[in-house]
Formats: sequence, structure tokens, C-alpha cells
Amino acid sequence: MAETINYIVKDKSFEKFAMMMLLGTTADAMDIKSNFFFTFWGLNLLKKGYKPKVAGMPFPMKGMAAGMFKKRMAKFGIEDPWGMIKEAIENGNMKLYPCQMTMDLMKIKAEDIIDIAEAPVGAAAFLEMSADGKIVSL
Amino acid sequence: MADLTLNAVGKKCPMPVLMTKKELKKMSSGQTLELIVDDKGALKDVPALINKTGDMISETKVDGEQITFMIQKA
Repeated sequence: MAETINYIVKDKSFEKFAMMMLLGTTADAMDIKSNFFFTFWGLNLLKKGYKPKVAGMPFPMKGMAAGMFKKRMAKFGIEDPWGMIKEAIENGNMKLYPCQMTMDLMKIKAEDIIDIAEAPVGAAAFLEMSADGKIVSL
Repeated sequence: MADLTLNAVGKKCPMPVLMTKKELKKMSSGQTLELIVDDKGALKDVPALINKTGDMISETKVDGEQITFMIQKA
């Protein structure tokens, strides 16, 4: 069986988005499967049109810093992060799961979630898919 | 002499690894890929990838900032 690493994404920051993108796409290249479970504020990262901000910057610069980091990352060759994620998903090695309870709690509708995400799951389903692998909290 | 050359100079993690994997996918068994990078992390990252893909690094050359890997497709 292929190696699987399961991640809990609980924050909506640019940093967490970048970590998810980097780890998921690299794992895909290494034929390691990744399941990402987006819960609480992390679920924002799966909302259509959501633009994550840099949590580590002081208040007025959070959005601007995200733009700056994006530009720098583009120079490193990371020009289309969502395109890279999409490719890893199409290869069958990366899966993005919205947390059903968070959707209900925050009144987020299925149509608010990006199309490349999986159907929402609950805690039990995530724990079941993680049973034979590692769980990492981002 | 390499069959293919991939120049990933200027690219940072995880691009050298992703680009290498893509190139390897296109190659046939026994062919050699020359990979040129200047990302310091690649010195550990590229062997980690190759260890997973089951291909082989036959040579690693470090010349200042520049690192050249010769990778043989399994």
C-alpha cells in the first residue's frame, strides 16, 4: 500500500495554504498520498475566491505581504499554486476534504467550496482514512 | 553524456523536485537526465525524490552555488 500522510488544516493563513500546497505537491512527486482535512478557520482556504493573508505580519500589512510573497514565489517557479494542486489531485495523490461539522457551524454551503475538493467528511471518516498512516496538524 | 538536460537554476523548493519528476516521467528506462540546480535544499531533496522513484543518481557535482545531478532512469 502506498504511504499516506494525513493533515489537519485549522488556519486560513497564507502560510498554511503554502504549506499545504508545498507538501501535497511534493508528496505527489514522491508518490506519497496526502489527505488534507480542512476544519474551523482552515475551511476558508477551500472557499471559492478566498484570498489568504499572511498571519505572521502585523495587522495593516497582512494582505500586502501575501501579494509580495506570491510574487517572490512566482520567481522561484511557483507561478500557479492552485494549478499545481489540481495536478496532484488529478494524479490521485492529493485530496482536499472539507469538514462537514465546520460547514454546518459556519453556515458554509456546498456551492461555496471549490470544485476540486472532495465531498465533506466528518471526524470519524477522517480518522478512518488516517488509521494506517500519520496525522499531522498544520 | 546525458540524454536530457533540465536547467532548474533559480527555482526553489519544491520546483526542482516537481520538475525533475515530470522530466523523469517522460523518459524511458536507462536514459540519463542531467539536472542543474542552485537551490541549496536540492542537495537533500533531489536524493530524497530519487530514493522514492527508484531511479539512480550516478553523479553529484557541486561547483560553487551550482549543483549538477546525473540521474539514471530505472
